[in-house]
Amino acid sequence: MTVVVSLRAVTKSYREGETERRVLSRIDASFAAGEFIVLLGKSGSGKSTLLHLVSGIDLASEGEVEIMGQRLGDLSEEARTLLRRDHLGFIFQAYNLVPTLTVEENVLLPLELRGEAGASGRDRVQVLLERIGLANRARSFPDLLSGGEQQRVAVARALVHRPALVLADEPTGNLDERTGADILDLLQGLGHEERRTVLVVTHDRDVVARADRVFTLEHGVLTEHAKGAPSKESRR
Amino acid sequence: MNRLLVRSSLRHLARHPLLTSLSVLGIAIGIAVVVSIDLANESARRAFALSAQGVTGRATDHVVGGPTGLDESIYVALRRDLGVAAAAPVVEGYVTTPREPGRALRVLGIDPFVEAPFRSYVAPGVTTDLRTFLTQPGAALMSTPTATRLGLVPGASLPIAVEGVKKEVVLVGRLDLPGELAARALEDLIVTDVATAQELLDQRGRLSRVDLIFADSLEGAKLRERVALACAGRCDVTSAASRALATAQMTRAFHLNLSALSLLALVVGMFLIYNTVTFSVVQRRPLLGTLRALGVTRGEIFALVAREALLLALPAMALGMALGILLAQELVRLVTRTINDLYFVVNVRTLDIDPLALAKAAALGLAATLLAALPPAREATRVPPSLTLRRSTSETALADRAGRLALMGMALVAAAVWTLSASARGLLFAYIGLASLVLGASFTVPWGTRLFARLARPVMGRLFGMLGKMAARGIVASLTRTSIALAALTVAVATTVGVDVMVHSFRATVVEWLTASLQSDVFVQPPSLVSGRGDGTLLPSVIARIRATEGVLAVNSVRNRRVRTARGDVGLHVPVIGTGQPSLHRFRAPRGGDARRLLAEGDVVAVSEPYAFHHALEVGSMVELATDRGPESFRVVGIYADYASDEGGILMARPTYERHFDDRGISALGLVAKPGVDLAALRDRVRERAGDEQALVVRANRELLDASLAIFDRTFAVTDVLRLLSVGVAFIGILSALSALALERSREFAVLRAIGLTPRKLFRLVTLQTSLMGLFAGLFSLPLGLAISYILVFIINRRSFGWTLELTLSPGVAIKALVVSLLAAVLAGIYPAFKMSRAGPAIALREE
Repeated sequence: MTVVVSLRAVTKSYREGETERRVLSRIDASFAAGEFIVLLGKSGSGKSTLLHLVSGIDLASEGEVEIMGQRLGDLSEEARTLLRRDHLGFIFQAYNLVPTLTVEENVLLPLELRGEAGASGRDRVQVLLERIGLANRARSFPDLLSGGEQQRVAVARALVHRPALVLADEPTGNLDERTGADILDLLQGLGHEERRTVLVVTHDRDVVARADRVFTLEHGVLTEHAKGAPSKESRR
Repeated sequence: MNRLLVRSSLRHLARHPLLTSLSVLGIAIGIAVVVSIDLANESARRAFALSAQGVTGRATDHVVGGPTGLDESIYVALRRDLGVAAAAPVVEGYVTTPREPGRALRVLGIDPFVEAPFRSYVAPGVTTDLRTFLTQPGAALMSTPTATRLGLVPGASLPIAVEGVKKEVVLVGRLDLPGELAARALEDLIVTDVATAQELLDQRGRLSRVDLIFADSLEGAKLRERVALACAGRCDVTSAASRALATAQMTRAFHLNLSALSLLALVVGMFLIYNTVTFSVVQRRPLLGTLRALGVTRGEIFALVAREALLLALPAMALGMALGILLAQELVRLVTRTINDLYFVVNVRTLDIDPLALAKAAALGLAATLLAALPPAREATRVPPSLTLRRSTSETALADRAGRLALMGMALVAAAVWTLSASARGLLFAYIGLASLVLGASFTVPWGTRLFARLARPVMGRLFGMLGKMAARGIVASLTRTSIALAALTVAVATTVGVDVMVHSFRATVVEWLTASLQSDVFVQPPSLVSGRGDGTLLPSVIARIRATEGVLAVNSVRNRRVRTARGDVGLHVPVIGTGQPSLHRFRAPRGGDARRLLAEGDVVAVSEPYAFHHALEVGSMVELATDRGPESFRVVGIYADYASDEGGILMARPTYERHFDDRGISALGLVAKPGVDLAALRDRVRERAGDEQALVVRANRELLDASLAIFDRTFAVTDVLRLLSVGVAFIGILSALSALALERSREFAVLRAIGLTPRKLFRLVTLQTSLMGLFAGLFSLPLGLAISYILVFIINRRSFGWTLELTLSPGVAIKALVVSLLAAVLAGIYPAFKMSRAGPAIALREE
């Protein structure tokens, strides 16, 4: 089984004046290719910090984060950016589509950044747009789309360049229940089809039911639960 | 480059057409001003160079004499005794014609038999029937365009005036050379035989110079040496290039100051670019964060922002060049008029559209754009990759940085003070110091804005209630927008204040000088081509009649001549004072010596402040002048204030002059009226008695004062145009900043509308805010403007021209600064305020 993400004794702390605040404490975990992982935790539990560390946006104070066998701590900022470009996909709570690019162009963007926006890239975009049901809106700008439609575009954008890891931060947070479920179907379906590792940070109880593995983060400590077993409290 | 990112940028600009076009317009005006001044300066320089080339031809050297020129015998000796083959006599001067008033024609008297190596266009047989040319009285050659313009056909005569005396020339042939440049070199040129020119210009037996061609070899150098030796004090050999250069140098400071002022609009334009690019960065921070998260590198983000700035710069450059060429058509007229008023005769008929000037301005515009875009582009690269929306980071960042920026600004101001005081003479250092001061002051604007807004808040609350408080707070809440707009307006208004104070101070000083100097009641002189010189000659018969005019108590006179020195030509003034004290304004001599007594002490002169400054002369220094007895040294006994010309002048007592010069002419008379005589009536009587023999300008004291001030005001007409344009660019800056604010704060205003604020009240809120911004800019601009005026009056003016001015301040300046900035801000705010107040609450809320 290919390990995509490996966290070893990862600690993250911030200085606040004289005192040091530890947000993550000696976290160990590894995620394999094709896994659908859910991370639960209260506000301020360190979920976003963990996502920042896994994506290389921030660096661990101690310990090691490895993505596709590359130790992030050894990489320059530029190299980490390129690693994100090549191996990571992102889905944001607020969709964060580029407002000045059309739906089609938004999905094409990661391929363009990698220099793969040729004919095969365009075919891939077309396939994904059909898969998310927005082929007929390809030329529309994001502000003409509903929230659910925008998030579907974001899912397609996150997967178009076949990243090893997709990070989804509250992907259903701004959506109603039905639309949220559609998005998760899409994400899970596409993820499994293409054997992508998907790490979803959420409050949504329904997501847990879809997960291959479930983690909670409390007081900076990461705990894995047997499927369907996280405490009620930690799901808030 | 990433095509999608480029497309995204283009669409971003297209989605904000008002902001985009305002930025383009702002940069375009900045470029236009630089282009226009450059073209106007270049056209004047080129016109001068071409006309000089037309008369100098291929001469490498000139033999020149004193102010009355050379005796003809020197030419004869050169050819006969020294065997100089390539030598040509020249008689040269300016005349006017009633056919084209206000324009000077240059008369060039030559000997056609020796001309071929020098000016091939007048060689025998090339142009006309030689016998007619040599024998017909007043026979003259002109280029076809000049003759056509003056309505002349061969055989027709042209009435001319030489120092007011009417004469006539007859067109006997045409000079034509292929090529546009050659044709322009012959423009306004009247070529005659030497004898004809001597008669026309009243220089019988004299030559203006002898043109020579020395081979560029050892033999040539030896021959040159022999000629110089043979001159033996009666004449001098100068190279043609150095002579032309010396004349061109006269206007160097004038051109430089215009160029410096032209950069102002571009600097103000830079604030505009900075503002627009910062806006686009601030507005898209979340997007930039997302792009960073998706794997767009810092370098790519930097390139994205820089490219957007470039996208603004390219159309701006094209528009700026087109506007610049249009503006230059008008400016070249103003620049030429000033050169003719103050320096020398130059006719600029066509605007030279020099591709190099255009390229220079384009490069400058591009560099200014990129420089202005640099800080926001760097700021954009610092946006961290983000997974969430963060809106106000940049506002908080600037608010935090305002104090640090102000400290940096103060450091720049300190550096400016150091630069200004470190060098006593360098003009470039003065401008660097000035630029550093302006930049430093603009860095303190965000901090000042925060402070003023805090102070204004309670006052505004008391005056306008909650709306007033919100208006004051709104300025700080959007500090990135407001402070840059305020900085641009502050710089523009401060410069207006600075230049205004300088011009007022200058004018007041000149009025004081003129009042002290013009001690006669009625002034008489022949019309002069260069207004500031007055070196014509009054006919003795005319002088005699004027002296005998009824009502004249005493007659003062002055002889003005151009005299050659080792440092170039200079105006020599020789007054004869009939009554009262010699009118030397602010005469400085050791132990407060009296000017009249000191000047009577043998071979001595007094020099004007600019002349002393330019040539580092002090009391006791020696000045060598080319007199009619050869080069003679004169001791400087005093330095006097004189604002007639920036090259300065030398003053000599009449007895001293007559000992060293053969000339006995008088250039102007000052008549002192008997007590109780009506000056207007005296002036009319003088005109009547002078008759038609010589055209004269007869003016009463007050009229001469007014005429002198009119020249003064004309000199600053160009600066008025430039200042106006800078304020125009700043106005666009405010409009652009407020439009950006309208976009940014649409949600905030929608909330206000949703909770019941009427459109009218919202309009009032925005207008209150813009008024407050105008007031702040006005207040910021005052100290900066005064500092600028101090630098202009005491440093730049002194280093450019050598004048000592007194700083004159009036409360009107402060009021004007406040009114200009308030008006600019309020006017610029009307449209954005209207737009903000019309925005429906539902639309703005939905956008979020």
